[in-house]
Amino acid sequence: MSKRNVGMSHQLDEAGFDKIEPVWGPERERAVRAAIEQRATRRQATVRTATAFTATAMIVIGGFALWNRRPLPPAAQSSPVAANPAPAAPSGASETVSVTRLSPDTVLAALPERGGRGFVLRAGAARFSVPHDAGRPFVVTAGDVTIEDLGTTFTVRFTASDRLNVAVEEGRVRVRGGDTDTEVSAGATLEVPVAPVAGPPPKPQRAARAVATAWRPLAERGQYEEARTALRKAGPSAVRNDTAELLLAADAARLSGHPAEAVPYLERVVHGHARDPRAGLAAFTLGRVLLDELGRPNEAADAFARARSFGGPLAEDALAREVEAASRAGDVTRSRELALLYRRLYANGRRAKAVSRFGGLD
Amino acid sequence: MSSKLYLRLTDPPPDLVPGGPVEFDELFARYGRYVARLAARLLGAGDREVDDVVQDVFWLASRRLSSIADMAQARGWLATVTTRVVARRLRGRRFRRLFHAGPLAHDVPAPGATAEQRALLARLYEVLDTLPTQQRLAWSLRYIEGEPLDQVAAACRCSLATAKRRVSAAKNVIDEVFGDE
Repeated sequence: MSKRNVGMSHQLDEAGFDKIEPVWGPERERAVRAAIEQRATRRQATVRTATAFTATAMIVIGGFALWNRRPLPPAAQSSPVAANPAPAAPSGASETVSVTRLSPDTVLAALPERGGRGFVLRAGAARFSVPHDAGRPFVVTAGDVTIEDLGTTFTVRFTASDRLNVAVEEGRVRVRGGDTDTEVSAGATLEVPVAPVAGPPPKPQRAARAVATAWRPLAERGQYEEARTALRKAGPSAVRNDTAELLLAADAARLSGHPAEAVPYLERVVHGHARDPRAGLAAFTLGRVLLDELGRPNEAADAFARARSFGGPLAEDALAREVEAASRAGDVTRSRELALLYRRLYANGRRAKAVSRFGGLD
Repeated sequence: MSSKLYLRLTDPPPDLVPGGPVEFDELFARYGRYVARLAARLLGAGDREVDDVVQDVFWLASRRLSSIADMAQARGWLATVTTRVVARRLRGRRFRRLFHAGPLAHDVPAPGATAEQRALLARLYEVLDTLPTQQRLAWSLRYIEGEPLDQVAAACRCSLATAKRRVSAAKNVIDEVFGDE
């Protein structure tokens, strides 16, 4: 008895653990080394690509930031983004545009195409002091109303979500919107109806897309319960018609304890992606779910038959389980015929014993 | 006083003499076979899977050479890394088995074994497949590889008590199976 086997069952003393020894010659050594070197080369290439990508991204972002800053005059850069109202420039004397946010809830953004001489007011109020330039008129838009300066200082304020107040301190402005096209002079105030303010770009769509895809990383990390909850929230359209994604969704349903929900995904793979090499696996899994978890042996037998028809390494197990499913469904003739087929195809099969039992060959 | 014969200190084997920095070529040449054998014994798998493990282990080693002080430490370090890589592979295997019905066929590389020994080894690895990964590894290191318990604990990165407990739990199952047969 060898020293290592002290205390083991007598039968294992004879197992010959010492003989477990892969054939390790120079050729195999070279092959493994070559694979390691290939891996090192691949890693270097990946690192180089990632570095180049990061550098390019930084250059692009930096360039974009510089380009974006250049055309805006100083007042236009600071005022629209200031958290608190900034002091107004001395009225009348200013040679540059001066913009003051008059309330904390003011939402004001520059119109990039107007080079600092145009803003959109979405909420709150702002005061504008503007030198007139006939070649480049200064405009403020609020909903469907446009206020165009004719050399002036003026304030635009949302008094309600659908009412806009324009008060002119100096000079004149032209207010256009809906049925209104009016010039307002110094000291005058105009209140106009305004159509609902258009929201920022379609964030809700982006949010919906994020909800629709949230289940995937959860399932990939093995958080099946969370993935299944996210999947239900996102609705059936969240799963693309792609084999890998359908199998992942089936896993999320099955492994979170909801096998019935896995069935449609697996059926979509079996029937819709029959040429995919994973279709056999999907059919086999479908058979297991139907037989072991849902107690539907008739359908399970059909699924296993389908898995068998795909061939490959699962064919033997699929046939064995088809025998079992047919037996459980009470179809004695079918289970017996299939058991005989198994015996013929896999004379020394791993599952011969179980097949004989379910097929009534014992 | 002369020391008793069976207690005398001997020189360490030449490959365990502490030396300078470890070179990858030397490390691979000296321990490639050892890692392949250990992987084969822990996995009970054929050449392809063993080669994958050897690649993973030496790929890691090539990036961590600086953390191996000298050749004297390299063997233990490689045993620990091999055990970890094999553990990951066994867990992956277990996960993949969710999609398969029957047990995997074991193609244990045992060139000099008799047919009976091969059958016994195949059966043993089938039983090992049913054990929790950590218990399986601890038992395999102890009884198949013949490592002492402190080395088992080091390779499994657990305490000696935990290693003993894992070995014992696995042994109970294996004794029960092979005692009955």
